[in-house]
Order: sequence, then C-alpha cells, then structure tokens
Amino acid sequence: MAALMVAAFALVACGNQSTGGGTTKYVVGVSNTLTGNGWREEMICSIKAQAKASGVVSKVIVANRTTDAAGQIADIRNLISSGANVIVINPSDRDALNAVIKQATDKGIVVVAVDQAVSEPTAYVVSNDQVAYGQLGADWLAKQLNGKGNIIEMRGINGVPADTDRHQGLTTALAQYPNIKVIKQTFTNWSLDPAAQQMKDIFSSGIQYDGIWTSGIDSTVVDQFQSSNKPFVPIVGADNNKFVQELATLKDKGLKGAAVTNPPPIGGAGLAVGLAVLQKTHSYDHVIHLTPQVWDNTTADGAAKLAQTYDSSLDPYYSVAFDVKPYTTYSKQDLISCAGPS
Amino acid sequence: MATSVAAKVSGPAGINAGRAVRRYGWTVAVYVLFATLMVATLIVKPDFGAFEWNTLTLAALPLAFAAAAQTMVVLSGGIDLSVGPLMALANVLALRATVGHDLRYSVGVALLVLLEVTLAGALNGAIIVLTRVPDIVVTLAMSFVWAGLALLVLAKPTPGIPLDFQNLAQGSTFSPWVPNALLLLLVIPLVWIPLRRSRAGLAIYAVGSDRNAAFRSGVNLGLSRVLAYAVGGFFAACGGLALSMTTGVGSPLAGTYYTLSGVSAIVLGGVSLAGGRGGMLGPLAAAYILSLIPAVLIYLGIDPNYGQMIQGVLIVIVVMIGGIGTVLRRA
Repeated sequence: MAALMVAAFALVACGNQSTGGGTTKYVVGVSNTLTGNGWREEMICSIKAQAKASGVVSKVIVANRTTDAAGQIADIRNLISSGANVIVINPSDRDALNAVIKQATDKGIVVVAVDQAVSEPTAYVVSNDQVAYGQLGADWLAKQLNGKGNIIEMRGINGVPADTDRHQGLTTALAQYPNIKVIKQTFTNWSLDPAAQQMKDIFSSGIQYDGIWTSGIDSTVVDQFQSSNKPFVPIVGADNNKFVQELATLKDKGLKGAAVTNPPPIGGAGLAVGLAVLQKTHSYDHVIHLTPQVWDNTTADGAAKLAQTYDSSLDPYYSVAFDVKPYTTYSKQDLISCAGPS
Repeated sequence: MATSVAAKVSGPAGINAGRAVRRYGWTVAVYVLFATLMVATLIVKPDFGAFEWNTLTLAALPLAFAAAAQTMVVLSGGIDLSVGPLMALANVLALRATVGHDLRYSVGVALLVLLEVTLAGALNGAIIVLTRVPDIVVTLAMSFVWAGLALLVLAKPTPGIPLDFQNLAQGSTFSPWVPNALLLLLVIPLVWIPLRRSRAGLAIYAVGSDRNAAFRSGVNLGLSRVLAYAVGGFFAACGGLALSMTTGVGSPLAGTYYTLSGVSAIVLGGVSLAGGRGGMLGPLAAAYILSLIPAVLIYLGIDPNYGQMIQGVLIVIVVMIGGIGTVLRRA
C-alpha cells in the first residue's frame, strides 16, 4: 500500500509540473476556511475567473477547507511553500494571521485579505464596508418599524471580523432608535440548516418580534415563514439570488424586505488588486472598501433594481453580483464556469 | 545440549517477538506510514525544507496534544467529548492573564492554566465516577459548560499573547530542523513515561481493559478514572496553550475542531476505543500524518476538501488491517 501511495503521489506530481512558462506567469494561492457556503464558493469562482481573464496567471491553488485560525496559518504557509506570488485570503481572524502574512510579504508575496479585514499593515484589504452593511440594513429595518418594536438579529460566525463589524454597525444604527430592541440574537454560522432550526425555535418559543435582520442567510428565513404559514415581518438580507427573487415575487403576499449588497466577486477584485500591485501597473491604498447599497422592495427604485438583478441562470444561493467594477474584468460566463487558467 | 540451549533461548525470544509485534506492531506500522508519506512528500516537493518542516510541526502541535488528551481518557475506558472546549478554556485563560506581560510572567500564567484545566478534567472524571452517568453523556454536557465558560472569560477573539511567549512555539531555538513546536511535544513523554511505569498508570490500563477484573485485583476504579481525566485535562490545556502560542490570539471557539480530529488521530494511532489498549507514540505519529495530508494536497494543487475524505479512508483502511491482525491472532 505504501509503495502504491508513493507511486500515486509521484504520478500526480508529474502531471502537475506545468508551473514554468514565461516570467509573467504568476501562481495564485487562495485560502478559505468556510466550506459548503454558496457565497464563499462564488468568491472562489470569481478569483479563478479573474485569474484566467488576467492572462498572467499560470495556476490557482485553492486551500479550501473548514478549519480554524491555526489551520489557516498552516494553509497559508503551505501556499508560500508552493511558490504563490499572490495569496488571496478570506481571514478567519483579524489578528491571528498577522505573523504568517508578514512572513509572506517579507518574501515579496502580495497578500490580499478579501471580504473581511486583517490588522497586518503589509496586507491589502479589499472588502465590503461591513460596518456600513450592518448599519444600512438595521437603519432600513428601524425605519420600516417606525422606530418601535422588537427585532431578531441573526448573525454569522461568532468572532470572525465581518460578523463583529456588522454587529457594530447594527448597534450604531439602533442607537438612534431607543424604542427598537434586539429581542433575540442567534449565530447562523452562515449555514442554512442552523438558520432554519433557529426560525422554528423562534416560532415555537412565542417570542414577539416585529422584524428580522440577517447577516446574509436570508431566503432560508423567508422559506421558514412560508412553510410555517406565519405572517411576514420585514426582513433584511443580502443580495443573494433567491432572496432577491423572493423580495420581487412575494411582495404581493406581504413580504417587505431589503437586500444589502455584499458581492462575493470581491475575491476576484482582490486578486485584480494583488496582481496590479505585483506587476506595479497601479498602486492602491492598503484598505479598499466598497460601500454597500440597499435594495428594498418598498420603493420604486429598489423594486426595479431587484427585478432587474434576479438571474435564473445563477445558483439560488449565489449572490446576484457577478462582478465588482472597475476591478474585475471577466465575463459572467467565466464566473459561472468557475474555471481557472488551464 | 547445544540444541536444547538454542531451543531454550529461541523459545522465550520467539514468544517475546510475538508479544512485541502484538504490542508495538500498530505503532511501528503508523510510523512506517508516516515515513512513507514523508517520502511521497519529498517526491512531490523536492525542495521540502526547514520552513515546510516547521509548518508541519506547527500544524500538528495542537492536534498532537488533543490526541494525547483523548488517549489518556480512552485508555481508561472512557471518552472525552470536551477536549476541544477544554483547549478553548486554556486558550482564553492564557490570553486574559498574559496580555501586556513578559515571558517569565507568561510562563507562570501557563503553569497556572495547566493546573486549572487539569482540575477541570478531573472534575469531568469525578462527575462520571460519582453519578455513574456514561462518560459520553457527561463529557458531552460538560463540553457545553466548558465552552460557555470560555465565552464568559473572553467573548470574542482577542490578540495580545506576548511575542516572546509565542516564540516558545513558533521559533527554532536550536536548529531550523528542530523547531520549538517539535520540542514542546516532549511534554508528552515526560508525563507519560513515568505515569505508564507507575502503579497508577498500570491501574488506568487495567480499568480500561476489564473493569471487573481490575476491581477484583484491588484497583481503585474511581481514583484511576479521575486520574486519567485529570491527565487528559492537562494535555488538553497544553493543546490550548499551543493554540495561544501558534496564533497569538485567544479565541473562545479555538478548540472546536480538535475534539473529533483528536479521536481520528488516536484511532489511526492504534488506541482501541474499547479501552485498555494502545499508547502515546502511535497517536503522535497520527497527528503528524493528519497534518501532512492537507499540506501535500496544497503542494499538488488539489482541493484540500479531498483531504478529509483521504483521512477517512486512511482511518478505515488502517483499522481494517488492525482488525484482520486481531482475527488472525485468534485463529
């Protein structure tokens, strides 16, 4: 068995020796620590698509597994060992990766943290403004409730930077509305099943709620309202395909809601920034924030945007945003095919 | 006469060889597997150097301690589902107490944390012994208690483990090829070898392999089991401190992945989940194997999610081979 394994590894190794090429060919490493999540899958696809579209990337190595900060440190070190020139990471912790990021940047590797921030100054951070994400959605919800009522806050993963930032934004927004109370807080871990279970628990617990803020696990909540035959309350979610569709089609059935944008192609945008820095074709600030937009189905502008962005060709749990202009240069088809440079 | 002497000598030697194979066969096999994987890694990555070796030792450090913690408990016939939360507890206690202090103070804190979490482990054991509720139920319940306590100590991940203290694990004091993360593992034999040679260690094995027989031989069952859980708690604390040192942050959810991956490591390492069989050496190598697989997949550019499948398949194959060995011996 042992000899067989050596042979198998050796074979694969030979098949993979295509790293060479010209001097303009770069290796891209990706580190992600949440699997089985549509948003993250789309993020990775956007990195592959941008790598292909850039024309200067020979290989994308994806270190994608559910792990903790210690595991992500090992993954990033392994990406350094694999000769990556740019490493795009979705960080599991704001501070724990600093030492390994510094090691990478000391070697001339460009490290870009996407979606969430890291505190290491030599890294580039390309992310949605997650504080604003929490703030805008909470503000919309409070206005919908005329500044009075109980809301449920369905957060993401406890302790990861984006969750902390969004919670801070929500808290800031609600400080303006003293009569709005967060009656219950849950952590969905950005997974569908826990969110569904939490909604069932909330329905059966008899908690009085007037609105629900979610950190992006949104259509699951709408589905629970439907399957349990409960009257809708205003729901805040993200620009996920299925939620966008529901906001557009269930309006007649009394669903009021808002999608706050949080584009997964931030991954591709991060790679574009990283490659530009590496090739010195453009200089960027170390922190680049996208400002989220609010698309609600209660205003004409928002409803138009929702109707226009829903895309039946996209996965229901993908975000409707397939690019982040002006950074990404790939086509929608590139994103859907999810193929890197071959 | 010469032949009879030879027979006399070869007789017991033959029996000893058989016993040695039975006792150490699995451990040797696990090390052969690790060596094979290392050779495969060197073929895949000919420039595998000190940096890569360091990566492996860092990744394996917390897992090795988690496996050691689980080994202690499983040898005594129990199972500890609270290893991960105990690691998290040690991790956040260490952060709370060391922020802004120097190395000497931090080491003092670490010793205190080791003591506290050892007591927490002992409490797990004491509850099981006193209430007679099955180990799996008590430790599952206690896993929520320890996880909740960790969240009370520290609500969210917070940086601030002193750099000098981090370097105890991250640096290479003696040689780039002998990283500190490897040397820290010496804690395991330092605790394990004297324990194993003592009456208390023998009692843990006895309790794990046949509780009735152990009781009739005069072994104090309750005390032995509490001791096993306490030493398990000690190793879990080491694992939590390892996480503090390798990440530099305290995180209340730090231990989440180590309860089950620790169980994987001990199964691969030849510790019988039925209790009483196995040792520390096998799980150590298994922790290295389980940490090497994702690394090799990244070197190859293969999705590390396959790593989980490969780990699973590897464990099933190894356990099957072990099972065949047992059946052949009986036949």
